[in-house]
Amino acid sequence: MVSKSEEEQLNRLESQVENGGGGAWEYLCLIRKLKIRRSDNVLKYGLTILNDPKKRSSIGNDEWTLYEQVAIAALDCHSYDVAKDCIKVLRKKFPESKRIARLEAMLLEAKGLWEEADKAYSSLLEDNPLDQATHKRRVAMAKAEGDILKAVEWLNKYLEIFMADHEAWRELAEIYVSLQMYKQAAFCYEELILSQPTVPLYHLSYADVLYTLGGLENLQTAKKYYASTIDLTGGKNTRALYGTCLCASAIAQLTKGGRNREDKENQDLHSLAVTALEKDYKKRAPSKLPLLTSTLRSLKLSS
Amino acid sequence: MTGLGFVVGVLGVLFLSHAAYSTIQYKNLLKITEDEFSGPPMNVVLELVLGFMFCMHAALSVPGKFQSIHPDSEENRVVSLPANMEFMIFNHRGRAIISEMDMKLKL
Repeated sequence: MVSKSEEEQLNRLESQVENGGGGAWEYLCLIRKLKIRRSDNVLKYGLTILNDPKKRSSIGNDEWTLYEQVAIAALDCHSYDVAKDCIKVLRKKFPESKRIARLEAMLLEAKGLWEEADKAYSSLLEDNPLDQATHKRRVAMAKAEGDILKAVEWLNKYLEIFMADHEAWRELAEIYVSLQMYKQAAFCYEELILSQPTVPLYHLSYADVLYTLGGLENLQTAKKYYASTIDLTGGKNTRALYGTCLCASAIAQLTKGGRNREDKENQDLHSLAVTALEKDYKKRAPSKLPLLTSTLRSLKLSS
Repeated sequence: MTGLGFVVGVLGVLFLSHAAYSTIQYKNLLKITEDEFSGPPMNVVLELVLGFMFCMHAALSVPGKFQSIHPDSEENRVVSLPANMEFMIFNHRGRAIISEMDMKLKL
């Protein structure tokens, strides 16, 4: 998870490196730690380290990690020559490694040679059927080919074996959302919330999915999860505040003249969220405030 | 601040060791007068409490600033999820951009 302080550190390092202030290795380490996709920067700064023998020897054994990182970044930037050279260097150092074999298969995959890549992954899986990373690559490859249903099928098979893999659950949830299969996506988000209950963004996505599904019961649950997102982020998540407003007005529309006590609670929550939103906009984007008030007026609870 | 805290800590440890020394002396005295040991004398207890307070103050101030444990605090607040790197796919629109940088790994 990328926390606020880590994000600030990353931005600071990034501008420092961009202005030639050094610290490229720290920057690359942070990117690796936070698992952020900045392939162009990794390629640029990684190569400056790898091409300078003095800098390269100063990082010691981490050199090989950097070669791998740069190779993947090069694949992402479609600089196949760099990727190929990196893999060649790694292959020379570790002739028997399965991890390098996977990189080679990824090179085939990036070039669009699906059949060869598939063959390579299959042979890797034959040697070691419990190789999680290779399983995941196969799913990603099915997705890249445009065969989403095959990706879903493989991912489901994978999750039957490795149920604790939250990254895979997240991927499956995102695929289901893209296929508009919201019930299944909701199930995946439930799994994610169970495995990592303190990550507000899973609560937020779950609430989004429930709100999209609609219906009184789902809306009420969605409202609760938006509220828990607000709780976990200290009220700094604008999307959750908007979600609360939307849920409250939708519930008010569905239960017109219904139970009084819940109606009151609904209104209170709505007005609280509106106040928080207005305060936030006043502080960070005063020019957008009229837009916000007109939007919120159209959402006004009909009572 | 750290220097002061350190001095206070040393003082606290000295107080504690002096309290221990006084207790041993007091026990020896009791052996001579052949009285029962019912509890440490008042000044030792006072010294213990003071020493404890000093040590605690030093332990809290010397190591530096504490970090927040609340998930919703400004530092710990999660702002984004990591990119799902293991499911990364390469045929994205970046393929259409021809890289202007002429990059090469020197072998």
